[in-house]
Amino acid sequence: MEELRIGVFICNCGTNIAGFLDATDVSDYSRGLPGVVFSRENLYSCSEAGVSDIKSAIVENKLNRVIVAACTPRTHEPTFRATCEDAGLNPFFFEFVNIREHVSWVHKKEREAATRKARDLVRMAVARAALLEPQTPIEASVIRRAVVIGGGISGLTAARELARKGIDVVLIERERKLGGLVSGLYVLGPVPRDARAYVASLVADVRKDRRIRIMTGATVERIGGYIGSYMVGVRSRGKASEIDCGAIVVATGAVPLKPEGVFGYDGKKVISLFEFQDRLRKGKLRGRRFVMITCAGARDRERIYCSRICCGSAIKDALLVKELDPGSSVHILYRDLMCYGVENEGILRAAKEAGIRFVSYSKDAPPVVEDGVVRVEGDVMGEELAIDADVVVLASPLVADEGASELSKMLKVPLDADRFFLEAHVKLRPIDFATDGIFVCGTARWPATTRECAEQALGAAARASIPLLAGRVEVEPAVAVLGDEDLCRGCGMCAALCPYGAIEIVETDSGEKASMIEVACKGCGTCAATCYMRAITMVHYTDDQLRSQVNVAFEEQATRAGGAVAEPGAAAPTGAGGSK
Amino acid sequence: MCSGRVDPALILESFLAGADGVFVGACLKGECHYSVGNLMAEGKIEVTKRILRRFGIDPGRLVMRMMSSAQGAKFVEFASAFQDDVAALGPVGSSEGIDAADAKLRLAAARNALADKKLRWVEGKWVEFQEEGNLYGERFTLHELGRMYEEIALDECAIQEIRLRLEGRELSAKELARQVRIPAYRVLRHLADMRRMGLVSVAAVGDGEPVWSSCELEEIPAA
Repeated sequence: MEELRIGVFICNCGTNIAGFLDATDVSDYSRGLPGVVFSRENLYSCSEAGVSDIKSAIVENKLNRVIVAACTPRTHEPTFRATCEDAGLNPFFFEFVNIREHVSWVHKKEREAATRKARDLVRMAVARAALLEPQTPIEASVIRRAVVIGGGISGLTAARELARKGIDVVLIERERKLGGLVSGLYVLGPVPRDARAYVASLVADVRKDRRIRIMTGATVERIGGYIGSYMVGVRSRGKASEIDCGAIVVATGAVPLKPEGVFGYDGKKVISLFEFQDRLRKGKLRGRRFVMITCAGARDRERIYCSRICCGSAIKDALLVKELDPGSSVHILYRDLMCYGVENEGILRAAKEAGIRFVSYSKDAPPVVEDGVVRVEGDVMGEELAIDADVVVLASPLVADEGASELSKMLKVPLDADRFFLEAHVKLRPIDFATDGIFVCGTARWPATTRECAEQALGAAARASIPLLAGRVEVEPAVAVLGDEDLCRGCGMCAALCPYGAIEIVETDSGEKASMIEVACKGCGTCAATCYMRAITMVHYTDDQLRSQVNVAFEEQATRAGGAVAEPGAAAPTGAGGSK
Repeated sequence: MCSGRVDPALILESFLAGADGVFVGACLKGECHYSVGNLMAEGKIEVTKRILRRFGIDPGRLVMRMMSSAQGAKFVEFASAFQDDVAALGPVGSSEGIDAADAKLRLAAARNALADKKLRWVEGKWVEFQEEGNLYGERFTLHELGRMYEEIALDECAIQEIRLRLEGRELSAKELARQVRIPAYRVLRHLADMRRMGLVSVAAVGDGEPVWSSCELEEIPAA
């Protein structure tokens, strides 16, 4: 085996790291660790100067393992892996240590302890680096076809954009008509836009694009495969079919909550915002005195979340009423006003100028709706108001579609606590799922305005088109492999619990064995931690690598405490109680 | 890597490496980044706690806490509380009333039990036995599974500890019973089984009482 030549780079991150721990000490310390031949501090490792410094250090010192102790791998692991590659080193010989988020930022007032912790983490990384192995990314081909589930404005937009990029699309809609929730609305906000005309133009675009195949009255029955090669089983008007595709866009939307049992909802004089819009559109709105109540059925024990769009919708509709009948009176009773963005602020101001009254109420003293009058304890003045009302309008939240649960199981992607689809990362990967090749947009993810839905749909189409147009996809090789085929008994435990269906049991010359579909594996490692024969190896996170880290974690403390107690039976366990 | 990757054996490796407590952080239920890995982890942690308890090690030294990446304050709360709890317990052994060497041996036996096939198999079948049943379609309640696991763990842990206690030492069944904290008749039963497996042999018979020693694994007769 070639001699270990580990290089350690300690990033100061300006003062972000060096301001709260002794980076020089950590750098000096790491030089004394086994296998380390080089260490240096960088002011900013990720800067151009830092990166070129690391690169030349690798070449000059013939480094064959590189450790950077800096920030989160989320942002800069790709940077430093690329640096290694540029210097002629396999990128998987790189090991990242997070001494910013994990050390300096959380131990700002404990300089010494923080320095000790940074030493510990670097020592653990060095132990692991010694056992790293070169890897090559896994490649798979991608079928140039996308399936879009949901034919509302998000799905329509995503399908249209994908097709414009030259990708074949199959658009699956559960209802017999395209358009979704928005086709039942009247005027969209905050900039007024005719809902039905908007939907109609989208539907027309989608219908005339011959790359798009539309399936209405269709439900998804099963989904298999992995990025580049998914199979979607659809039943459309009684007929089952299978669609092969390279990527899936989830645009299944949400549904408005029918506020049964909230503020005396009766569907006649106390109605939901959606029913109000419907009456406005049909010109069937009666009455001149309106009271709107926001957070009706939202932000309570059952649904703790803010649906984000109801406040804006209520204000927009109040303005519509004022436009129709300037003499009418409109009160909006609110707990907090969710009016983000310049345009929403604009309509809020316009509403106040138009004489719409805003009364805030507290969660503990909600308004009481009686026949023809709404009583509310105004938060600001502290006195009870009795507001006459011909119609009470409840601005209720959007709630997750009931079908989301089943679909999430088929897709093997998570839902959040409110049953909306959960993206890979709220801030850093808002449109992706953790599972590659599946994307989410629109209100399936979270209540959103039509414009936000359209933006997300464009985003999802753009994200999905990357592998679809490339025709091939590279997958991180940190996956499960059958490390020891002889050990595997083909018991199927791993296949049964794999959340991604990435393991199958196949018949081989030496009996049934587990077989991993590398492209589908996300590297969670649950199989390896469960395999009773310990036949599964997690590439890049092997048992040996993890153990090496754990074993040195307390080395310094042990030395300080004056030697550890010898451990009996350190050899790997074998034999006793063995099964057949 | 997911909390589901946390192998119970690795947790014991950490204790053996000098940890006085092990904290496993996981996603919130229903929000697992890897779908259900956190639920798998929960089962593994529960099993590991049972084994720690069996060896007389305070199971409070191992905790699993669930939180989302947006709950920094919660993590601080969990971590600080655990830090305080472990500091109050002191080094492994001190709150348990056993010396460091004995604690180390028990941890090693626990590690071996958790790394070996038998307990891993039962643990791995846990969900299947509950939901689909065994080969004969018999389904088990959580309570039944727990009892079954306890029974198997009882034997497995004793066997692993006896093996380590006999390493380089010759002990009588009576002395082993004292050290392994189970009745002598059960030690004898294990020793008989273990002799059949070629793990132990009678080293000498003095004063009418045999003393036992461990066998090198190479001595196992071929089947």
